[in-house]
Amino acid sequence: MKNSLMFVTLIASFLLTQSRVLAHHGSAGYNNKDLVTVTGTATEFQFVNPHCIISLNVKDVKGQVQKWQGELTSPNHLVRAGWNAHSIKEGDQVTLTGWRATSGAPALRITKTTVNGQELKTEVGD
Amino acid sequence: MRSLFALAAALAVPAFLFAQQPGPAPAAVPNISGVWNLRSSPETRYLSYAFTREEPPMTAWAQERFKATKPSFGPRAVADSNDPVNPTTVNAVGCFPPGTPRIYLQPFPMEIIQTPGRVLMVFEFNHFIRQIWTDGRPHNTDLGATWFGDSTGQWQGNTLVVDTIGLNDKTWIDRAGHPHSDALHVVERILRVDQNTLQIDINIEDPKAYTKPWGGQIKFQLRPKWNVTEMVCEDNVNFDEFLKNEAKPQN
Repeated sequence: MKNSLMFVTLIASFLLTQSRVLAHHGSAGYNNKDLVTVTGTATEFQFVNPHCIISLNVKDVKGQVQKWQGELTSPNHLVRAGWNAHSIKEGDQVTLTGWRATSGAPALRITKTTVNGQELKTEVGD
Repeated sequence: MRSLFALAAALAVPAFLFAQQPGPAPAAVPNISGVWNLRSSPETRYLSYAFTREEPPMTAWAQERFKATKPSFGPRAVADSNDPVNPTTVNAVGCFPPGTPRIYLQPFPMEIIQTPGRVLMVFEFNHFIRQIWTDGRPHNTDLGATWFGDSTGQWQGNTLVVDTIGLNDKTWIDRAGHPHSDALHVVERILRVDQNTLQIDINIEDPKAYTKPWGGQIKFQLRPKWNVTEMVCEDNVNFDEFLKNEAKPQN
């Protein structure tokens, strides 16, 4: 148990220090065959280039909080899909589905976003 | 003497009159202006990283460089990419200009603005601008090799033929990591095939890097309700790094 907690802590530290890597994307950083869904409380929404980042606290079955990050496309594309810089606020209940990071870090490339029970689509309109 | 004046007047007046006459209307050029977004289909998924499905005919010089490239996209994508535009390697700078012709593969729209003597391509990706001179001027490479090169254009019927030289060798041709030298010569044939479709045939010639000319065709869809908005690649992580470095005590 202690070992697994340490492992989670190490991964979380890795994620925090390597956010630069995650933020600069690339298709090889995520496994598109490993689809995961996490639900938690939003702690930060970075509406920035090149990729927007949603950070959230996710409680596991034992009540332990794990910090997750989800990566989206750029703000320009999201604005065309109806988002804005305030689409997610701290404290919002967020469910993210997406491809898990190949590194094992608690991070995903988002394919579906639900905020306070409402899905925010990422398909770009005309 | 009077007849001499009459002759002079007869010679002068027509010239004066011709100057006042409306001349033949300048040949109308097709309208290619608007916001355009790259269109891909299941058959052209390779457009997310390359201009063709097939491997271009690389020389030994290019193959050696190609092996050293570690792209973020395409079949050779790796998690520790050294892509000069979209790296994933820790502490890589990135966000360098994609150059000509790679800029077309960055997944952001471009706006074409036509003015007399010049066509502007305004790319949403980092707000890069290409100027294509259509006023008949020759190439000007006084600046030396540049990221987007020097582009001149000529209308051949309904097609704008764009000739680009003066490119530096710091960019990749595409997002798959294909290299080129500063001898790169790009010719684009730009044609609006219908109201909503812009087609660009790209020909790539670089004897140092490729054994023969090659290229591909890309198509763009008109997006009449879109605007090109601000997109700054360095916005995120690079600026955070900049602030950290700025905060360091100076010796």
